[in-house]
Amino acid sequence: MAEVKYLSEHYSKPEYRSLDGYKKHGGYEMLAKALKMEPQKIIDEVKASGLRGRGGAGFSTGMKWGFLPNNGEPRYLLCNADESEPGTFKDRVMMEKAPHQLIEGMLIAAFAVKSHKAYIYIRGEYMGPAAILEKAIAEAKAAGLIGKNILGSGFDCDLDLYLGAGAYICGEETGLISSLEGYKGQPKLKPPFPAVQGYLKKPTIVNNVETLAAVVNIIRDGGQGYRKYGTEKSAGTKLFSISGNVNKPGTYEVPLGYKMIDLINIECGGLKPGRKLKAVVPGGSSAPVLTAEEAERATLDYECLAGMGSMLGSGAIIVIDDSNCMVDVLSTITHFYHHESCGQCTPCREGTGWIEKIIHSIIHGHAKPGDIDMLLKIADNMKGRTICALSDAAALPVLSFVTKFRDEFEYFIKEKKSKVRGGQIYAQLHH
Amino acid sequence: MFKLSEEGLKYVKSELTRYETKQSAIIRSLYRAQDENGGWVNHDVISHLSEVMEIPAAQIEEVATFYTMFNQKPVGKYHIQVCCTLTCGMMGGRELCDAMMKEAGCKEMGDVSADGMFTFSKVECLGSCDTAPMLQINRDPYTENLNMEKGLQLVRDLRARGKGH
Amino acid sequence: MHSSTTNVPMVKIQVNGQEVEVKEGSTIIEAFYQNKIDIAHYCWHPGLSVAGVCRLCMVEIEGNPRLQIACNTTVTPGMRVSNVSEKVKDAVKWGLDFHLINHPLDCPICDQAGECGLQDQYMKYGRNDSKMGEAKVKKHKVVDLGPRVVLDSERCILCSRCVRFCDEVPKTSELGIFNRGDRAEVGTFDGKPLTNKYSTNVVDICPVGALTSRDFRFRQRVWFLKDKETICTGCSTGCNVKAYYNKEGVFRVKPVYNAAVNGHWMCDDGRDIYKFVNRENRLIDAKLVSGGKTEHMQPMELAKRLGATLKGQGASVALVLTGSHSVEEYEAIVSYFKNDVGTTQIYHWINNPDTIDSFDGILIRGDKNPNTKGLIEVLAKNGVSTQWKSLTDSIGTGAVKTVVVAGPENQALFPDMKVKISELSKAAKLVWMTAGKNSELESLTGDVALLPLKTYVEKPGTFVNHAGLRQKTQPVTSIVPGALSLVEAVQLFRGEELVAKPVQEGEKPNEIGKGRVHNEFTLTRGVW
Repeated sequence: MAEVKYLSEHYSKPEYRSLDGYKKHGGYEMLAKALKMEPQKIIDEVKASGLRGRGGAGFSTGMKWGFLPNNGEPRYLLCNADESEPGTFKDRVMMEKAPHQLIEGMLIAAFAVKSHKAYIYIRGEYMGPAAILEKAIAEAKAAGLIGKNILGSGFDCDLDLYLGAGAYICGEETGLISSLEGYKGQPKLKPPFPAVQGYLKKPTIVNNVETLAAVVNIIRDGGQGYRKYGTEKSAGTKLFSISGNVNKPGTYEVPLGYKMIDLINIECGGLKPGRKLKAVVPGGSSAPVLTAEEAERATLDYECLAGMGSMLGSGAIIVIDDSNCMVDVLSTITHFYHHESCGQCTPCREGTGWIEKIIHSIIHGHAKPGDIDMLLKIADNMKGRTICALSDAAALPVLSFVTKFRDEFEYFIKEKKSKVRGGQIYAQLHH
Repeated sequence: MFKLSEEGLKYVKSELTRYETKQSAIIRSLYRAQDENGGWVNHDVISHLSEVMEIPAAQIEEVATFYTMFNQKPVGKYHIQVCCTLTCGMMGGRELCDAMMKEAGCKEMGDVSADGMFTFSKVECLGSCDTAPMLQINRDPYTENLNMEKGLQLVRDLRARGKGH
Repeated sequence: MHSSTTNVPMVKIQVNGQEVEVKEGSTIIEAFYQNKIDIAHYCWHPGLSVAGVCRLCMVEIEGNPRLQIACNTTVTPGMRVSNVSEKVKDAVKWGLDFHLINHPLDCPICDQAGECGLQDQYMKYGRNDSKMGEAKVKKHKVVDLGPRVVLDSERCILCSRCVRFCDEVPKTSELGIFNRGDRAEVGTFDGKPLTNKYSTNVVDICPVGALTSRDFRFRQRVWFLKDKETICTGCSTGCNVKAYYNKEGVFRVKPVYNAAVNGHWMCDDGRDIYKFVNRENRLIDAKLVSGGKTEHMQPMELAKRLGATLKGQGASVALVLTGSHSVEEYEAIVSYFKNDVGTTQIYHWINNPDTIDSFDGILIRGDKNPNTKGLIEVLAKNGVSTQWKSLTDSIGTGAVKTVVVAGPENQALFPDMKVKISELSKAAKLVWMTAGKNSELESLTGDVALLPLKTYVEKPGTFVNHAGLRQKTQPVTSIVPGALSLVEAVQLFRGEELVAKPVQEGEKPNEIGKGRVHNEFTLTRGVW
C-alpha cells in the first residue's frame, strides 16, 4: 500500500483552509457528534484506536488522557505546535492546509478530558501558520465553535494561540509549559507529570498537532475503524517529513509499517542519478542514524525502528547520499544541540558544548585519535542523566554517527581532511 | 529612554489580560517592543516593560535572552536568518549564507551592513527542510527553495526595495 | 521550642545497606541529610525549592535500572538506595567532570578555596586530570553585584541556589540566569546592585567561588580561621550564627540553622555586627577622671576602686541598663545595686522606642537588642519599675549624684548615644562601662570613670529573644584581655577576686539552637 490521504484527504484544496471550505468537506460534524458522546467514551475510542503521540515519544494518546486525576481542578489542553526537531515540518503543513482540522480535534479532545481552556503553542518562527491559525480561531469563535455552549451542547471551551520565540526546548512538553507560563522554556522536574501538575500546576494534557488532528478521524471512523491503516502496535497513518538527497522531498502520509525504502524511492522519486544511499536519519535529528543497509530493511513503525536501536520520532526522514561527509553532517547536529541546550542540567549544558568542540577539533585537524572514544564516553554519560531528553537527543546521534561511520572520523583525524567530497567540507573551509 | 507607542501600550495592556497569568504576556510584549525599538531589545526596553507590566526586570531579561528571536544587538532593516541545520546544512545553507552576507556587505554574522540594510544570522532548523536551503527575513513568512543565484538576487532586490522606502 | 515534630509517621528505608528512619514524604536526599550520610550535591538546599539540575545526587534504587536524583525522589517504605555503588560513583565522577570542564581552576586566587564544593567533591570523586583539551567558555569576571556580593561567572556552576534564594526568601527576584546553554550567566538586570537585606546569604549558599563576600574576600584564608557558634546580637531575633576568628579578631559570621529562630538565614546587618568586637573599635583602657586628674589603670583595679565608692550610697546612685547584656549579667548587677549599693534607681535605656515592635516578616526586628526580654524579666523580678524621665529629673535636682551606665555593647545600634551622653554627664559623677570606644565619652571632663567591657563573643551568657526563647552562648574568643563582663565587674565591686576562667577549646557545647540539625553549607559547603 502506498501513500494514503487519510488525514490529508483535502489538503490540496485551498478552500479547506477557511471555515466554509472546511465545513463543505464535513468539517466540525465530528465535533457535533463528539459533543453528544460521553467524554469517557471518546477516551475509550481513542484508546481503542491505538493512536500514539505523533510528536516523537509515541506514547498512547488514550492512556495519556486517562492519567488526569479526577479531582475537580481546572485542567488544560495544550497543543504542541513547537515543531522544531530538525527535519520535521509536517505540523506546519497541517496547520497551513487545515487549521480547522486541528481546532476541531482540539475541541473534541478538550471535551473528552473536560478542559475549558486550550492553547496552541506555536513556535515563534512559524509566523505564516500562526497568522492562518489566528484567522481560523477567529472564524471558529464567530461561528460559536469556540467559547460558551459550543453547538448548544452546554460545553464551554476557550482556545487561544500562544507564540514562542525561538527555542527548540519548548517542544519538550514541560519546557513548553514553562514557556506558556511566561518563563524561560526550561523543562520541569518529573514527577510531578503534567497530567497531574502541569500548566500553572494544574492537570494538563499536551498533544502534538498531528495527534489532535487524528482524533477527528477516530470520532468519524471509531477506534477500530482508525486501525484500517497501520500495524497492530503502530496503528493508523502518519505524515512523514522527508528531506535531504531525494528528488521530491516533502510531506507524505503513509500507513505505519510502510517500507522506508519505498517511501524514498517511490513517493520521493529516489536519489539523484549516480548517487548511492549512505545513511538515513529516520525520526528527526535526535534519532540514531541508520546505515543504507538498515534503511533498506526498515519499516516505518515504532517497533521496527526501536528494534534497530533508533526511533520513529516525529517522522522526519533525512536522506543522506554518498556525497556527504558524516563528520560534517554530525557537526551541524552537534552545533544544534549545543545551541539549544537550555543550560539547566550540567551534563547537557557542558556536554553539548564539549562534544561540539571535539567535532571542531576533528574538522580543524587538531584532534587526537583518543578523541573518538572520548566523544563516545561523553555522549554515554549525557544519556539518562538530565531532567529532559535533550541531553539524550544530543548524545544519540553522536553515538550512532561515530559508531556506524567510525572510518570517516578516523580518516579525518589521521588525514586532517574528509574522506569524501575531495576532502573539503564546509566547516573546514569557512571557519 | 524607550517608551512604547500609545498603540503599543494598549497592545501590551490587552496581552496582560489575555492569558491565565500576566507573566504569559512577556513574549508578545517583547516582540512588540522589539518592533518599536528598531528590531532589538536593550535594557531600556526591558526597564520600560518591567514598569508597564509590573514584572521584575530580571524575569523579563531572562526571557529576552533565552529565546533567539529577541535580538540583543541592533540589526539591519532586513535580518536574514539562514537555516543551517542538518538538511539545510547538507543542501548548501551555510555556503549560501556566507555568499549572501558578502553580497550584502556584512563582515561577520550579526553585523549590520554599512547601509543599515542587512544583518545575517545562521539559525537552527526552521521547519522547512523540504525546501532547503531556505531562510526567514525578520519575522516574515519563509523564503524557500533557494540556490546561490536566487540568494544573491534576493539581496539585490531587498537593497533596492529598502532604498525605495 | 524544639523544631523536630514527633507526629509525622516514619518510614524505614535502607541506605547503603544500613537501615535508617526518615519522615514519610521525605525525599531520598532528605533521608541522607537527616541521617548524616554523605551525598554529593550542589543545587539542592534544605531551605530552598528543588531544582534538580546539578545531577550530582545520583542514587541507585534497587529495582530501577536508571539512576535517579535523590533530591526529587520520594522515599517509599522498604526502599533500598545506594550512592556508593560503582555505577553511582562513575556517574558522580562524570557529573563532576561536566562541572569542571569550563571551570577556571583558579583555586590559588579564589576566596572560596578551602570551603569549596568543587574541591570537596574532587577529592572524593575526581582526582584526575582535566579531560577537555579545548578552549573553555569565557564569561564575566569580578562582576559588581552591589555593596556586598562579587560575582565570578566563570566559576559559577549555574546551580541556581542564589536565584531561588532571592525569589523565595526575600522575594525580591533581582537575580536571574540570562542567556542559555553554556552561555548562561547569573546576574542582576542591567547590573543593578543586589540590595535586599538578606543578600549575603547567596554567598553562603553558593557552593563554589562564584559569589564571594565583598567584606570578607581576600582578608583571610579560611583555613587560618577557627569557628564557634554563638548568636547574633543585632536585634531581638537572636539568629544562630557561627563566628569565624583567629588571634587577630573575628572576620565574619554566618548563619547556623535553627528552625525555631532563623531557619537557614540571617540578615545583612547582622553580618556587620562582628566588626564592633574587634580591637580597633574597642575601649581598651580603664580611665578615672576625678578633680581634673586623669588616671589610667587596669580595668580590674578600677572596678575594685569603684566598688569601694559605690557601696551603701543608696538612692543617690542610679544604674542605666541597655538590652545588650546577658540575663546572668543583669541578675548580678541588679542584685549588686539593690543589695550592696542600696538603690532601685535602675533605668532601661530603650534605643529604638519608635520601631521596637516592627518586623519585616522574615527575620529583622525593630528592637535592636538581643536581650530586651531578659532585662525586663530581671527588672520585674527585682521589683524595679522606673521611667526615664524621673532619672533626668533626679539628675537635674541633684537627687541622683552618681550615674552608672552599663552598655550599650554595640554603640552603632544606639542612635541616641550622643544625646544620652550629654544627658547623663550632667550628673556629678558618671561611671560608664562599655565595650566600644567613643570619643565623646573619652573627652568628658567632669568626674568620669570609663570601664572596658567584654563583648558577647568573649563571655558566656543567656539571651532571651523576642519570642521568649532562652539561648545560652559560650565565649568564642578573647579580644581585649583586660575587659570585664558585668558579672566579673560586680565580683570586683564586691571586692571578690576573679576566678580566672580562660577561654578554651572544647568547652561544654553551646546550648543555643537545641533541636537543630546539622547544617552542611555553613560548615563545609557542598557536602557535609
